[in-house]
Amino acid sequence: MTAATATTTAPTDRGSVLEGYRDDGQLATAIGRALGRGLRLPAIAPLLVAGLPLLVAIALEGSGASHGLVAAVIAWVVVLGGVASARPLTDRLRWMVPPGLRAIEYSALLWIGAVAGDDVLPATFALLCAITYHHYEAVYGPRHRGVTPPAWVRALAGGWDGRLVLAVVLLAAGALPAAFYVLAGLFAVLFVGETIAEWRRFHAGQQPVYDDEEDEAD
Amino acid sequence: MEIRSGRGVRTRRAAAVAPGSAAVLVATAAAADGSAAALQPWEDTTLLARLAGQFASLGIERVHVITRPGWAEAIGAVAAVQVHAGAAPADDLRAIARVADGGGGALVVAYADVVTQREVLAGLLAEPRLATGVLTTGGTIARPYGFKTRARRGRIVSAGSPYHVVRNPTGTFLGVLKVAPADRPGVGPVAARLAELLEPAPPAEWQEELDYKAGHWRRMLALLSMERERGEPVPPREVLDTAPVAPADAAELERRRAIAPDDVTALLLVGLIRSGMHVGASRLRSLFWARPGGPAALEHAAAEIGEHDEDRELLNSAVKGADGFFTTFFVSTYSKYIARWCARRGLTPNQVTMISIAIGVVAAACFAYAERWSMVAGGVLTYFAFVFDCVDGQLARYSRQFSKLGAWLDSVFDRTKEYVVFAGLAIGASRTGDPVWLLAGAALAMQTTRHAIDFSFPASQHQVIAAAPQPPIEDSFDGPRPASRQTEAVDADEPEGEEAPPPVPVRMTMRRRLGRLWRAGDRNPQIRWLKKIVAFPIGERFAAISISAALFDARTTFIVLLVWGGFAMVYVLVGRTLRSLVS
Repeated sequence: MTAATATTTAPTDRGSVLEGYRDDGQLATAIGRALGRGLRLPAIAPLLVAGLPLLVAIALEGSGASHGLVAAVIAWVVVLGGVASARPLTDRLRWMVPPGLRAIEYSALLWIGAVAGDDVLPATFALLCAITYHHYEAVYGPRHRGVTPPAWVRALAGGWDGRLVLAVVLLAAGALPAAFYVLAGLFAVLFVGETIAEWRRFHAGQQPVYDDEEDEAD
Repeated sequence: MEIRSGRGVRTRRAAAVAPGSAAVLVATAAAADGSAAALQPWEDTTLLARLAGQFASLGIERVHVITRPGWAEAIGAVAAVQVHAGAAPADDLRAIARVADGGGGALVVAYADVVTQREVLAGLLAEPRLATGVLTTGGTIARPYGFKTRARRGRIVSAGSPYHVVRNPTGTFLGVLKVAPADRPGVGPVAARLAELLEPAPPAEWQEELDYKAGHWRRMLALLSMERERGEPVPPREVLDTAPVAPADAAELERRRAIAPDDVTALLLVGLIRSGMHVGASRLRSLFWARPGGPAALEHAAAEIGEHDEDRELLNSAVKGADGFFTTFFVSTYSKYIARWCARRGLTPNQVTMISIAIGVVAAACFAYAERWSMVAGGVLTYFAFVFDCVDGQLARYSRQFSKLGAWLDSVFDRTKEYVVFAGLAIGASRTGDPVWLLAGAALAMQTTRHAIDFSFPASQHQVIAAAPQPPIEDSFDGPRPASRQTEAVDADEPEGEEAPPPVPVRMTMRRRLGRLWRAGDRNPQIRWLKKIVAFPIGERFAAISISAALFDARTTFIVLLVWGGFAMVYVLVGRTLRSLVS
C-alpha cells in the first residue's frame, strides 16, 4: 500500500514542540528518572502538588520567611517538579505544564528576592527579564527560525530547577543582590548572543513551525 | 505588476520563493464555446498568459501547462511555458508527478483559468510563515461550484474535490496550491496513486459523489434564483429539484459538470491532505478572484476587477482579522493609513518596528522621570508605541514585505516594549519614594505565564490535529458515512452548511453541555467583544498602562495589570480546561 491509501499519521515533529517549552534542567530530569518511573498521573498533577506549599508559604510568611523555610519549600518544588519531568506530555491537560512551570519558577524567584530584602527586588526583576527572554525564545525560535536552542545553551541556563537551587544557595550565602545582577547579565549575554548567532546562521530553507496567525499570542 | 502612477505604492517587490520553483497550470477545462477556458481573451492577452506572467513576477522560474492534445499548439504559442498534453486526468496527474519529482524549490499547482490580482498570489507565495498552503475564501465567491475545505487552527484538515465531501466546511478552495520545497517529494507518489485510481474508471463511490454534487449545485442555483426573505425556511429537496433554473445558469452548470472530472488540482489537494501533509491557508479576504467560463462571465470579471480599488482592499486586508477591541476600534481605524504612508515613503516594516521600540523606550524614560507631566507624556507615548507596533505588521501585509526575521523582531520587541515600560514605571516609583519592584516583577511573571498558556494550548491542539488519522483517499467522505443523503439540507443563508451531512446524534454529556454553553455567546457580537476584552489582549494592556499611569501612578498601573490580568488568566484557564476535556 502506498502512502496515499494507508490510514496515515502525520509526522510527529510538531508533537515535540510542547516538550520543548518545558525547560527542565539536568537536576529535574535526574530526579524524574529516579523517582518518577512508576507514576501514572498526568504531569500537571505532581506539579500542582509541587506548587501548593510554595503558594501557602508565600501567602502566610511572605518576605518574613526564614532561609530554612525557603530552602525546604524550594527542595520540595524541585523534587516534585522533577517527578513531573518524567511524565510525557500526552494527556489532555498537558498544555498546563509549561505555564505551570513558569508560574512556579517566577513566583519562587520573586519570593526569594523579597525574603532577601527590598533592595534585592530590582535585581530579581532584572533576572526575571533575562529568564523570560529565554522562555520566549524557546517559542519564537521554532516558530520563526524552525530550530530549537542548542542543548549546551539549555544546559548552561540550568533549567528552572537549576536556577531555583542556585538562587537558594545565593540567598544563603548572602550574595544578593549582586549575584542576581551578575546572573542576569550573564544570562542576557548568553541568550541574546545565541539568538544573534542563530540569525547569522539562518538560511531561507529553514521552515517555521506554525502558520496560524491566531497562534500569535497578544 | 501594477505599479500605480504618481503617489502610488512603489515598494512592492518581487516576492522571494525558493530557487528552482515551478508552477503547473492545469488548462484542461473547456469554456462555454468548447475552446480552452485558459485561452479566453483578457485585455490584450489571455487568462493563461496573464496568470503565467503573474507567477513569473513572483519568482517562479518555470511554468508548465497541462492540457489536451487539441489545445497543445495554441497553448504552446503562449511564451515561455512548457506544454504537457495528455488525453485524460490520469495523464495529467502523472505529468504533475514528473514535474514534482524533476526538481527542487516550491511547486505551485493551479487552475490556468483563474483571474485574480497579483497580490493575492503574492500573499500565498511570499508569506514566510506559510509553508505548504492553498488559497481559500470564507466567503461565497466561488459558489456553488467551488470545492470546500475545513481548517482547524489554520491547518486544512479536510478538502473537497469532484469526488470528495467535506463535513462542516469552513472555507472554499480557490484553485491555487503551493507546496513548500520540503514537502515537494511527497507530491509525486500521491499524484501517481491518484492516477492509478482513475484508471480505467474512477471508483463507483467517487462517481456517485460527483452525481450527487451535480444535483446539489442545481438545487443551490434554484434556491439562489428564488425570491426569499432572509431566514425563510428552505424549500424541501423535491421542490428544489424541480424548481426552474435560469438558462444561463443551466448552461454553466452543464459546463461545470463536464469539466469536474478533469479537476486534478482539487483531487491532488485531497490526496496530499489524506497523506497527512501539513497544508495551511492564505485567505483571499476582500481581494478579487474569478474563474470565468464564457464571454458574459469574462465581461463581468473585467468590470468587477476594474471596480476593485486594489490599493484600498489591500490596505483593509492588511488589518489582522483576529485583533482585540481596543486595537480594532482605537488603532486599526487609522493605523493602516500610517502603514500606507510608510509604504509610500519606502519605509520597511523592520524600520517601523525600530521606531516603535524607540517610542517605547522614550515612554519608559518618561515614566522613570516620574513628574506629573512626564507620566502624561509617557502614557501618550506608550499608546503611540502600540500604534506603531500595529503599523509594522500592517505595512508588511500591505506591501507584501514579509520576512522571518521581521516577524521575530515584531514578536520579541512587543514583549521588550511592555517590560521596558514596567521597568520605567518601577524606577519612577522608587524615585518618588514608593518602590513597587515586587508588583512590577509580579506583573512581568503573570504576563509571561499568560503568554505561556497562549503558546502551549495551541501547540497541544496542533498535536491532536497532527495525530488524527486521515481516511484513505478512496473514501469520498472525510468521516463516518451518513446513513442517507436524502435528508440533507440546502441552505443558502448558511454559507458553510451546504455540504454538511446531518449531524450524528451525540449523547449530551455534562462536558458537552459546558462546551456548548461556552461557545453559545460567540453568536452575539457584544458578547464576543466582551470575551475578547476580558482576555486582556495587548491593545487593552497598553491602553490600561497608558491611562492609569498618565492619570494616577505606577502602583495603580501594576495593580490594574495584576487584577485584570489575573481575572483574564482564570477566565482563559477555565475555558481551555473545559475545551480540553470536551474534545
